[in-house]
Amino acid sequence: MPAGGLSRERDVREAYAAHAGELYGFALRSLGDSGLAEEAVQETFLRAWRAGDRFDPQLGSLRTWLFAILRNVVIDLGRARAARPSLAEGGIEPSVEPLDEALLAWQVEEAMRRIGEQHRRVLIETYYRGRPYGEVAEELGVPEGTVKSRVYYGLRALRVAMEEIGYDG
Amino acid sequence: MTAERCREWRESLGAHALGRLSGEERAALEAHLEGCSDCRAELDSLASVAKLMPLADPERFGAAPQPPAALADRVVAAVAAERRGGRRRRIRFGLALSGATAAVAAALLAIFVFTGDGDPSPERHVVFGSLPPGLEISATLEPHAFGSEIHMYVKGAPPGTLCRVFLRGRNGAQLPAGSFRYRWGEGSVAVLSSAFDLSETEAIAVRVGDRTFVAPVGGDADA
Repeated sequence: MPAGGLSRERDVREAYAAHAGELYGFALRSLGDSGLAEEAVQETFLRAWRAGDRFDPQLGSLRTWLFAILRNVVIDLGRARAARPSLAEGGIEPSVEPLDEALLAWQVEEAMRRIGEQHRRVLIETYYRGRPYGEVAEELGVPEGTVKSRVYYGLRALRVAMEEIGYDG
Repeated sequence: MTAERCREWRESLGAHALGRLSGEERAALEAHLEGCSDCRAELDSLASVAKLMPLADPERFGAAPQPPAALADRVVAAVAAERRGGRRRRIRFGLALSGATAAVAAALLAIFVFTGDGDPSPERHVVFGSLPPGLEISATLEPHAFGSEIHMYVKGAPPGTLCRVFLRGRNGAQLPAGSFRYRWGEGSVAVLSSAFDLSETEAIAVRVGDRTFVAPVGGDADA
């Protein structure tokens, strides 16, 4: 029995159930358009299916393989879109972030969704909103030292979550 | 440095990585870092994540966007269509790969290439026709030494519906292949098994609630 590739239709179903949400999230983040993101996900599974017997689980996870395919699909879709100037004139301006930056941005955002609410809250308040630790501590009804320690454990949790979804920096 | 002592310093490392320590606190922490390689390593690990935080958009920290439920069916249908077509379908956005992209794709694929195109898969994919609107059933059968393994895909039955699966042999005999309950609103796959060899199986029947659906099991994998 092949270990984890996409050589059979039920493998495609199982892989879809396990990974489509993340693949779609990244495709949407990098393409900025839900229709294109759906097309990218579908094309990713088709390419994975065509190359199913080439997947070697000893070289990387199925997830990593699918993301590598999706990355190429997004590049191709980006080129196809660049060849259609009418899109930009139609008032829909998809995101033009460089792809690797979009991947990192998506990884941080996905990791933020995965860490605990207390950790996410202090990182949003103190970092993204730039508020003083003392002010946030007062609002939360905890000592300032607690806010500081939640920032620390929050950053650690963020790193662990990012590693789970493929960050290897 | 004792672990307990480090613990106090450690809890300042996050604020330090994000540039939020006051001058006095920072000076004290930096003095500690001079002599503590463990804390320096921890700071490096946090700093590598902290430097990526500006890329993220906090508006997107809420629920992750999900693909529409129908996309799963479209993907499976596209794969099934390609399988039936037997040859590579032209892809819809089919922009010819430029040399550079093809090289990148080849390089990425090369990482995973160890085997060439293998033999056709021995499994059989079975489609049930004439289903009531909203109900989807399909099955994949795989040959095994013990008989056949069956993957039943069902979608659209009322949650909790009892589903019973049978295989019918070419000699007319019928053997039960197990039962399962359809639980979710989305498609679900149940794995069952039967003593019938795939080669002697003529048809598969599934009783969903009080209705029975039968589909022939083809003679050849890609017939």
